[in-house]
Amino acid sequence: MNDLTTGETASLEKPQPRITKCAEPYWQHAKDEKLVLPYCGECEASFYYPRLWCPTCFNQDISWKQLSGKGKVYSYSVIYQSPLPSYQGDLPYVLAIIELDEGPRMMANVLNCDVDKVSVDMTVEVLFEARGEMKIPQFQPTK
Amino acid sequence: MSKPSPVAIAAVSEMKPGRYPDMDGYDLYIEVIRQFLAEWSLKPSDIQGLLACPSGMAGGGSNDIFVHEQLYEEMGIKPLFADTMNAGGSTYGLMVQRAVLAIQQGKVESVLCVGAGKFPKVSTGGAESMARMVSHEIYEFPYGTFIPALYAQVATRHMHEYGTTVEQLAEVCVSSREWALLNPDASMYGNEALTVEKVRQSRPIASPFNLYDCSIPLEGGAAFLVCSEAYAKRLNQQPAYVLGMGEFHNHRNIHQASSLTDIGCSKSGKQAYEMAGLAPGDIDFAQIYDAFSINPLVFMEELGLCPQGKGGEFFQSGAARPGGDFPVNTFGGLLSFGHTGDASGMSMIVEGIRQIMGIAGERQLDKANAGIIHSYGGMMSEHSTLILGRSA
Repeated sequence: MNDLTTGETASLEKPQPRITKCAEPYWQHAKDEKLVLPYCGECEASFYYPRLWCPTCFNQDISWKQLSGKGKVYSYSVIYQSPLPSYQGDLPYVLAIIELDEGPRMMANVLNCDVDKVSVDMTVEVLFEARGEMKIPQFQPTK
Repeated sequence: MSKPSPVAIAAVSEMKPGRYPDMDGYDLYIEVIRQFLAEWSLKPSDIQGLLACPSGMAGGGSNDIFVHEQLYEEMGIKPLFADTMNAGGSTYGLMVQRAVLAIQQGKVESVLCVGAGKFPKVSTGGAESMARMVSHEIYEFPYGTFIPALYAQVATRHMHEYGTTVEQLAEVCVSSREWALLNPDASMYGNEALTVEKVRQSRPIASPFNLYDCSIPLEGGAAFLVCSEAYAKRLNQQPAYVLGMGEFHNHRNIHQASSLTDIGCSKSGKQAYEMAGLAPGDIDFAQIYDAFSINPLVFMEELGLCPQGKGGEFFQSGAARPGGDFPVNTFGGLLSFGHTGDASGMSMIVEGIRQIMGIAGERQLDKANAGIIHSYGGMMSEHSTLILGRSA
């Protein structure tokens, strides 16, 4: 475990997610700027985040389906003070839970938006932000 | 099926929350037990079971995932029932629940539940490690998470659905401070009273939270002894009976909660009321885990102690304050008593026990026949509700 008290060096680069085996297609499509989530044929529903089975019915026969990338802000917080060195330059920034039109919710930042303009139910669309060799989904107000 | 035999908490002790730079997590544990044994007249044979929690989560570094082994050996006891368990802030509520079952099953007559926690001023790297620990490492942490901003999701949603205001959130802090001014052990004892204006003028952290909407990170710990009724009566003429209990484990990561306004507390609460055969109207006071100002407001609603969506109005009415109709967090809450890291889930239970025993000093309530105690772990992820009372 990391030592929280004695000054382990904090990352200066924004975090790059660790790719787990079951999420490889998710990240591969993200690199191509497509939001593709696991889909359960039994439940006829996409789910987030990627797992080896459907969390609603345990079906392990999972396919992948591209989503519209559209959704709305379910909740959010404007962060004014953050201990994360890699986010200091972004202050104030928005940490939000986005509800996709297809149902699943995911965490993301709301980018390209005045923080005072963000609101619950505001419509947003996906965009992709480079993190090293990878890209991660982010959201911005619908154009 | 016959009714299970009554179980009660007979002895309780808590360190004054503070900064103890010369003590690591284990030193705090030993000091908690020393104070407990000094306050209550017990022999080693009085303690037949032991439940402890690693103190290292917020403290970092110390590898004490087997801490119960070291503690029972150092105490000089050989328990018939022991474990190190961890469910974050709900750990100690769940300890009570595990202890009750073990006692009712006849395994043991008594179980010592003990916790100690460090919550040091984290270095930048430490804050990052904590953010990584409380949010999903892959699907949340890369978005710049940290603890206040995760709880803030619940507050923002509540404000959206019910029209709750930041001033109403601030009322929770004002109420807790009034109680802390009556509790010599509270970290804010002797400090000045809070006002809604002062909370709103404190610096913004993560909307809608300002600095005073957040609890005070400190260090400390506590212990209590859960006993069969016969054992409890031998030690204490007015033990705190465990009348009801319930637990529910809803999610781990906040974005996975199916609803931010029905976060799982209602389910643990319902179990507790049913077991106690009591309704919200029978309860005299509540002690509620309050890492942030939003928590008591949401949990009052989910526990049926005020109508859904009216938590803000409840706190604004002053009912929760000293002299009010329904006292909440009479020890000052984690907001003004202090948040002792991994031991923080102890403080509201300790106060519930003391109010029932009638040993809460200047803040003792006139009416304390039955009280409800709610604690949770993680990002309001898993829940423990207890109902304590003066008679079985």
